[in-house]
Amino acid sequence: MSELDGAESGIFALAERKMAWLDVRQKQLAENIANADTPDYRARDVAPFSSVLDQFNIAPVRTSPLHLAGFSLSPPGTTQTIAERAPDGNAVGLEDEMTKVGKGETDQALVGNLWKTYMGMFMTALGKN
Amino acid sequence: MDLSQALNISAAGMDAQTQRLRVIAENLANQDSTGSFPGATPYRRKTTVFEDVMDQAMDARTVKVKAVVTDKSAFPQKYDPSNPAANPQGYVSTPNVNSFIEMMDMREAERSYSANLNVMQASRSMLTRVIDLLK
Repeated sequence: MSELDGAESGIFALAERKMAWLDVRQKQLAENIANADTPDYRARDVAPFSSVLDQFNIAPVRTSPLHLAGFSLSPPGTTQTIAERAPDGNAVGLEDEMTKVGKGETDQALVGNLWKTYMGMFMTALGKN
Repeated sequence: MDLSQALNISAAGMDAQTQRLRVIAENLANQDSTGSFPGATPYRRKTTVFEDVMDQAMDARTVKVKAVVTDKSAFPQKYDPSNPAANPQGYVSTPNVNSFIEMMDMREAERSYSANLNVMQASRSMLTRVIDLLK
């Protein structure tokens, strides 16, 4: 039953990472859309999830008990999105941002459902269905 | 929780667009407001300027109305000697409000408002879904 041993690694940790990333990203997208008419504002986006995933695989290892645990859920860095600039210097592609919001919502539903399904499998294993 | 911050940011965006709509309504309401004495200056069109601000308490960049500024363009002249604001030559300065420009501005404000509203709905449903995981 080692396949279901998901407390530290595996699906639960991955779902948590993805949820945290979607959370930060939703905030960034809300900022972009709120500033859709602000002069000289340029839309930004958080680093893609794949880069967060890479970080996840190379978590700091404690080689001495004196070391502090290096695991952090710090938000990934932001990058500027390329969009057409308006005469007032604003560069927010409203359609582009809305597409990202929609995709984020779908992804979050997927992660949530996967989490629930996996949890259900645990419940079945424990005989509390 | 960044999702609840996202709700606040969208609310700030909606608030800013509402203030802009208010100014547009003011312009449209006053598009015929000439002065009441000869040579008087008529109503001057106003425009809204937005600014992104760092909200320290929320740790997020929100939006607010930076200033409501006046349009410096020239007043159109209209020949109407019977008007109380007419100058000795019979010309009246009319407000520099163009209803087409105001209508376009209004549509833009409406579009941005509904974009913010949609993001707010998305954030809210995401938040609800996270809470539902507890069930």
